[in-house]
Amino acid sequence: MKKPLLGEFETPSSNKYRVGPLQSIHMPMRRFREYEDVDYVIVGVGSAGGVLLQRLARAGFNVVGLEAGPFWDTEHDWVSDEAGSHELYWTEPRVTGGTDPLALGANNCGKGVGGGSVHWAAFTPRLHPSDFEIYTRDSVGADWPITYDEIRPYYEQLELEMPVSGPAYYPWGHPHGYAYGPHPMGGVGNALIKGCSALNIPVSIGGPVAILSGSHGDRPHCIYRGFCIQGCKVGAKASTLVTHVPDAIRTGAEIRDRSMVSRIELGKDGRVTGVHYFDNEGHSHFQRAKAVIVSGYAIETPRLLLNSACPGHEKGLGNSSGTIGRYLMAQAGNVVLGRFEQPVRMYKAPPAHALTEEFYETNPKNDFARGFAIQTVGPLPVAFGKQVLAAKKAWGWGLRREMMDYNHWAAFGLLGEILPWKDNAVTLSEDKDCFGLPIAHVTFNLHENDKKLIKAAREKTEEVMQAAGATEVVQEARYAHLVGACRMGSDPRTSVVDKFGRSHDIPNLFVCDGSLFPTQGSANPGLTIQALAARTADYLVSQGERIFTSNERDMTTTPIRRELAPPETWGKGVPRLK
Amino acid sequence: MANELSLTPPVLDMKMVANYVREGRFQRSLALLTAATSVISGLEVAYEHYRGSYSRRVMYTPVILSGLLAIAGVAAFFSRRAARTVLRLVSVVTLIDALAGFYFHVRGIHRKPGGWRLPMTNMIMGPPIFAPLLFGTSAYLGLIASYLQREESSGMPSTSGRDIWFARLLPPSAGRELLSAEQDMREGRFQRQVAIVTGISALLSGFEAYYSHYKNNFRYAMQWSPVVIAPVLAGVAFSSIKSRRLATTALPAVSAIAGADAAIGFYYHVRGVLRRPGGRKRLLYNVMYGPPIFAPLLFGAAGMLGVLASLLRRRRV
Amino acid sequence: MKSHFDGVDPILCPRDPKTGEPLPPRSQPGYYPGFSTLSQGAFWDTATRAVVDKRVKHPPEPKFFAAEAWTFWTTVFAHLIPQTDRIPERQIPIVATLDHRLANDQTAGYRYETMPPDRVVYEIGIEAIDREAQHRYRGKFLVLPYLEQDLVLKAIHDGKPEAAQEIWKHMSVHRFWQMIMGDAIDAYYAHPWAWDEIGFGGPAYPRAYTRLERGEPEPWEVEEQRYVWLAPANSASAEVDSSPSHHAESGQHSLPVRSSKGARR
Repeated sequence: MKKPLLGEFETPSSNKYRVGPLQSIHMPMRRFREYEDVDYVIVGVGSAGGVLLQRLARAGFNVVGLEAGPFWDTEHDWVSDEAGSHELYWTEPRVTGGTDPLALGANNCGKGVGGGSVHWAAFTPRLHPSDFEIYTRDSVGADWPITYDEIRPYYEQLELEMPVSGPAYYPWGHPHGYAYGPHPMGGVGNALIKGCSALNIPVSIGGPVAILSGSHGDRPHCIYRGFCIQGCKVGAKASTLVTHVPDAIRTGAEIRDRSMVSRIELGKDGRVTGVHYFDNEGHSHFQRAKAVIVSGYAIETPRLLLNSACPGHEKGLGNSSGTIGRYLMAQAGNVVLGRFEQPVRMYKAPPAHALTEEFYETNPKNDFARGFAIQTVGPLPVAFGKQVLAAKKAWGWGLRREMMDYNHWAAFGLLGEILPWKDNAVTLSEDKDCFGLPIAHVTFNLHENDKKLIKAAREKTEEVMQAAGATEVVQEARYAHLVGACRMGSDPRTSVVDKFGRSHDIPNLFVCDGSLFPTQGSANPGLTIQALAARTADYLVSQGERIFTSNERDMTTTPIRRELAPPETWGKGVPRLK
Repeated sequence: MANELSLTPPVLDMKMVANYVREGRFQRSLALLTAATSVISGLEVAYEHYRGSYSRRVMYTPVILSGLLAIAGVAAFFSRRAARTVLRLVSVVTLIDALAGFYFHVRGIHRKPGGWRLPMTNMIMGPPIFAPLLFGTSAYLGLIASYLQREESSGMPSTSGRDIWFARLLPPSAGRELLSAEQDMREGRFQRQVAIVTGISALLSGFEAYYSHYKNNFRYAMQWSPVVIAPVLAGVAFSSIKSRRLATTALPAVSAIAGADAAIGFYYHVRGVLRRPGGRKRLLYNVMYGPPIFAPLLFGAAGMLGVLASLLRRRRV
Repeated sequence: MKSHFDGVDPILCPRDPKTGEPLPPRSQPGYYPGFSTLSQGAFWDTATRAVVDKRVKHPPEPKFFAAEAWTFWTTVFAHLIPQTDRIPERQIPIVATLDHRLANDQTAGYRYETMPPDRVVYEIGIEAIDREAQHRYRGKFLVLPYLEQDLVLKAIHDGKPEAAQEIWKHMSVHRFWQMIMGDAIDAYYAHPWAWDEIGFGGPAYPRAYTRLERGEPEPWEVEEQRYVWLAPANSASAEVDSSPSHHAESGQHSLPVRSSKGARR
């Protein structure tokens, strides 16, 4: 076939706002006035912001989401192309340093409605019960102010809302199963299965990943094209843009896109009154709000709070503990590349489709605490080129020759837990961005436990790659994900917010995103971020008007409100082990 | 009855069986066969729909119905009454479900990115288009069975279980025709009908084999065999409508070849499953995503229908 | 014979390992003869087709670099990703893409604290390379013979430049190398001709991939047909580090380089 039937594909010209080929968002959406005292302003409509917006709107609150990036129309704005997807990433200036500086931008930071969930690979394992108490168990890191059992109903719920595809029995952590079936394997997944099987390592096949293995209402299932982290035009990969934002708009939320929040305003009564932001033309605005939720992820959230310093809060808004920006974490994400005699063509199938968490927990035999996971990765040519550059020091003719073998390589990524350290931090730089706001300076240093863990993880991953039949194995050191930097805790002296994300210092200021994590486990953070958002939303709904009027802090946990889920969640999938 | 048969020499067995079939006295056997095929296609659809994550509740219906059909088949083995009521009813409902499934699969392909403008891609990666119709095969067997006579019956016609009430709803001529067709089925005189179904079934499963082996890039020459045999079987089956000679010579021969091919295919598919990464250690996953182990049996079902057709009599003119 | 080389100096071309003779430039190097992702454009969505078409047909006009800087970096990139195995009309523009990026001040979204801003990197990078060239071969980079140019760059690749220490004090050698190589890779491997070369399937929406396993090609892809070639005799960039990484302390630091000449079979 030279062409599709009826000729080349054209994007349908309609006034509909499309998120995926079938799903559309009903526009125009509700608009609030700036002088209207809306109930909640949410800063950042990403993984957490999208869920919060949907929950709060469905519960009847007046809620505005301010998003620095654009509101995507996926059929027009997204492309099936690595270089053309630059817009999806947070590319505003930042400085990165320390002994082991983190790559930011495309590596871990999203921009636009949906945020990082637009370009995540969508692996969605849960944290293990042990992750919530590593200080108690291993005397490292910190304990969470909540237990696994408190977040578990939200894991179960969000796994339905995305929904997550995966095996019927997932053996690690708290064993459970998935409502959507596992995915077929691509070349990389098969290599991981082969390697793990040869070494008798259990492996989870075809998930858990928030990519549809069957259709879901107006979202078609995956077409295995491999461009997950370039934004899923198919709409098969869950992002809050396709899972929660449509329902949020339907139920009366507003998203003001291309709106960069510069400062949170504090009133004389010690409560926040709204946020200042710049629109796309650079004009400054102020949106009044009864409460503010910051969901800007682990760099922009602390940056905004630090930039909002004011009399009484000289170190940053709500920073009496001095921990805003501190305890930033990334996971070790070394990529192990293996060359096979037979072609692999790793660009087919989603990068995320098989993993093992067999080495996740602390093992007394190791000389380090905590553990790691091994996952599939499917770099496309540009990303792979840079990995070959780093792993093989290849350049010039050497690089050209290695790259001609692209189709013979498979890539595994390890995901290793790096502990929270006070010196890993987001601070303000002297440099300014285009709005004149100080930019973030990120410092990252590996510590002894981290280094030992990475070494062991790397060796195990290489062993698996060799067992899979690779004739040459090389690796590149890198980091994945970002969490921490506004951590939650019970002690106001060592944490920024309480277990519901409410600032210890300011009763109507909330943080809700990855920066809440006190520790991170070796699980990709996306699911946990959304689960925490749904949990915070339930708390806010149960508190009702009291959030807006009272300084009392009610710490009772309320039962999950499943009725706040987007209605299309229900009636799909298989019964599962929870 | 089974015991009685097994005591006699094999040649006689065949002849007796052929005679039973000829005279339409094989309700119990066919009911049991219905139950067996229904279990197999139920398993097949259960895991195929699990691949599709049961993303619509309607996807459970074929699984439930094949269970019911299997039960009805077994009941019909024991009870003539059950054969003429429950089995018939469940078979009809299952056939309707198969048609509905066909509609949903066509629609499913349409709703995939590119839809029907990328027919091959979306048939391969979307819902298997003809699978619901092939799923209807066991229901068809059940339906036939419900009209037959039991093995032990004397051959005297009886009116119980006939669709007289239904015939009355139709115009008189059509009603008469229906009852006469029913009567012919009772007597094993429905060779043409089964030949047609054989032909259709061969074409559909041949096409399914074609695109799923195409997905596999025809890595083994053997993967062409169902693609080649299916049209031949269909051709012979359709020619048998005209020619009684073909129906008793070529049709059983080609059907036997198709059956043998299905057996070989079954072997290769099982082997394919075991050879996948992880092999036996990941058996459930590999059954799900390896070569569909029951698919060759569906192709074999077309062969079985062909053999059945060849043994039947033609309608009285 | 001469005409096959179409203006390209044969000594800069890859060689046949058996005869040692230079191989004439091809319109499409790589092991996938006849494979063309661009021929599949009708199967892509409009937005993707527009982006890729523009990349092929309308590379950006010079905006950021002055003429000398343009020439300088063109020469450098001809070493970082040499293209003398491609016929001139099928060589992939690298500097144009970089120029566009710098003109619009597009960055990766972060700057290492050991690095100046990207635009400055490409300004002072010229001087750093020129000073290294002066130091090693007593001439500006542009006037040196190909191999000596290669060796100047290799010194930076190895993390061991000897000159211009006051520049390197403010700019990490390793990060500098990462950036210029990164930009080269960004431009070259984003181009459909490079996809054809390495057998990457290219954009795949709405049309999906159907043959996910065993490296099986799609009906419109082609099977690999390998040939053996060696890098040109006068190049210093053919070697890669294939040592198993667990001997290395970190994948980010320079290692003793083990030779692996020529393409594997």
